[in-house]
Amino acid sequence: MMSSIKLKWLIVLFALAAPLLHSTRGYCAQQRNVELIAMIGKDEVMGTFNEPAALFYDESKQRLYVADTVNNRLVSFDQGFTFLASLVHENFALPMGIVKLSTGEFFITDGEKAKVIFIDVKNKIIEPLNIRNVPPAAERFLAGRIAIGGDEHLYVIDRLNKRILVVDRNGNFLRSITARGREFYGFNDVRVDDRGFVYAVDTLAAKVYVFNDKGRLVSKFGGDGRLVFPVSVAVDSRGYVYVLDRHPGVIRIFDKTGRLQYDLLKKGYNPGELYNPSYIYIDAKDRIFTIDGNRVQVFKEKR
Amino acid sequence: MSKNHGFRRYGLRTFCSLLGAAVLVAAATVFIFFLPQDAQSARRSTSFLCMDCHPEAKELISKGNVHKPVKLGLCTSCHNPHASKHANLIGSDINALCYNCHDQKRVLAGTEVHAPVEEGACLECHDPHSSNQKGLLKKTASEACYSCHPRKDISAKKNVHPEVKKGNCLGCHRPHASDRAGLLTKDRRRLCTGCHSAKDERLVSSHRGLNVAKADCIGCHSPHSSDNVGILKASMHKPFKDRKCGACHLPGSSKVSRTGTRLCTECHESKMSDFNKRYSHLVNGDGLNPCVNCHNPHSSDEEYLLKDKEERLCFSCHEDTEKLTAKSNFTHAEIQKCSSCHVSHGSNEQYFLAAGEGTCSTEQCHATQGRFTHPVGDEVIDPRSNTPMNCSTCHNPMGSPEEFILRGGKDRELCIQCHQV
Repeated sequence: MMSSIKLKWLIVLFALAAPLLHSTRGYCAQQRNVELIAMIGKDEVMGTFNEPAALFYDESKQRLYVADTVNNRLVSFDQGFTFLASLVHENFALPMGIVKLSTGEFFITDGEKAKVIFIDVKNKIIEPLNIRNVPPAAERFLAGRIAIGGDEHLYVIDRLNKRILVVDRNGNFLRSITARGREFYGFNDVRVDDRGFVYAVDTLAAKVYVFNDKGRLVSKFGGDGRLVFPVSVAVDSRGYVYVLDRHPGVIRIFDKTGRLQYDLLKKGYNPGELYNPSYIYIDAKDRIFTIDGNRVQVFKEKR
Repeated sequence: MSKNHGFRRYGLRTFCSLLGAAVLVAAATVFIFFLPQDAQSARRSTSFLCMDCHPEAKELISKGNVHKPVKLGLCTSCHNPHASKHANLIGSDINALCYNCHDQKRVLAGTEVHAPVEEGACLECHDPHSSNQKGLLKKTASEACYSCHPRKDISAKKNVHPEVKKGNCLGCHRPHASDRAGLLTKDRRRLCTGCHSAKDERLVSSHRGLNVAKADCIGCHSPHSSDNVGILKASMHKPFKDRKCGACHLPGSSKVSRTGTRLCTECHESKMSDFNKRYSHLVNGDGLNPCVNCHNPHSSDEEYLLKDKEERLCFSCHEDTEKLTAKSNFTHAEIQKCSSCHVSHGSNEQYFLAAGEGTCSTEQCHATQGRFTHPVGDEVIDPRSNTPMNCSTCHNPMGSPEEFILRGGKDRELCIQCHQV
């Protein structure tokens, strides 16, 4: 028979150990609720998305732009997410990334030519951006995803050279951002916050890198099992880093130093779930946009 | 004193001594055989007891090397004499049973574990009673290996590695576990130099004077057998075959003449467009040239000069898919042949499928699917995601606990996700 003192000690020990057990059990984080605002994928006029790869929300015009990649087009939606128009042009194909300047021009990355394309709809100019004065590197330049900073500088992933090129709107090279180490495989996605901090995700190493506005590494996290196959990254108004983990179908939220805060969503086909998601974007109102398969879902977090 | 008197006197004493000794022996015998207080003594009796009914077992235990508990007559250390839910009245699951005595940590020490060991199939290779082979192997070490790794794949080619010819598999491989791929005993770059000195004149001259002390020999040479001279692997890159090292390397050096993909695209430029797709495998790994992440620039036993068997190569990055496949009750039939369904460079289809959703319904595979089963295609919309249904909506070819690699139970669970009752 266990004495009552022993039993009490066991209860105390269990109570002390329980939070520890919880925090280490497969990096399970607390799940939070989100509200699904919209799900876009199929429209009578628009047709069906075909493997969209990226999107951008224009805060001033309240427009959503989606790079409908395999349909070789850009698609726009109004603030109620009703289809407005699509743009197809022979000068670009497989749009893999999209950003818009405050003056209305777009920059996209062309997946087929692996180049950055400048699009001025008003003046009907669609042409490759000539990026100048880039320091020589071992590999040719193949453009990956693209992001835009508050200063309207473009952040373009140079896939093979494992770096991010920062260029101005005219294509003048400003600086490059990279990481070092054996366990660095290159960047798959990039985003810039209001203060110029750059967030980049290395999918194969399952790591997220945070650089300051000078391009200096300020923190990196992941690579420890907390992330499985992170493919995209976004930042909200609180400075929390939202990492889209493709294989488990969740969004993992970290603070800037890499402390896991909580998880959003779960794997599945149903509305409000994610099945092999590929892209995440957060707008100024902290609405979360995700792309999984041939649908775009828009969420609002319940905080 | 007469002789008779003396005989009577000494005979009585001897008789008493012998009687005393006999009583002692009898008592000891009773103690050993019939008194159960000493557990080991009791167990020792079991072998005699068992053999009464299982005389055929004598043959099992009569070979040169006898398993220690068998030698001690401890049949019940493995068998339950009354009842068991395991075959042959084995006391517990065979995997757990062996590790009762053999230190599991030692046996499984390594990141790579031999499949039968991982599955707990110790008896695939070992005889639990006795054997004429070392380590209680059922057959000679090489014969044991060949029972799963067919001889034709290992040693049937024209030029055979001498150690393979001798059947010395364990000269290079560990049978249970290792920290190295292929269960190698040493790092693959150090393994060969254990026997082949890099300073050997013949070796130096055949490599045109290059110092190959730190080279990855297995990158070019088959460690087992080959139809090529020098047991070079089956397919050779043309410049390598033609001994035109200068096509890629600087003269007299192992250094390459161009950096990154440029080295390969000089001849294979058209391949670059394969990568410029919605989904691309062009990743600059830890090597300087991403092409060599997957391809061996010299020679290979695999198609397209792949560095390793397709499955192993793909799983070396797609670890979680490997885990899913390993733990699944059902997987697609050709799961080890990734390129049956996927393209390796790039694709505009999700999962790098070769022909999108048409991949499944090609003539040689599931040509009739979708015609008489659940409708699929652009017009059939999955109510959950509002996107067209296809084969992978319901099936997960990489693995599932459900029959027909379904994503949910076929009787109800899967269907009610869309068909609300």
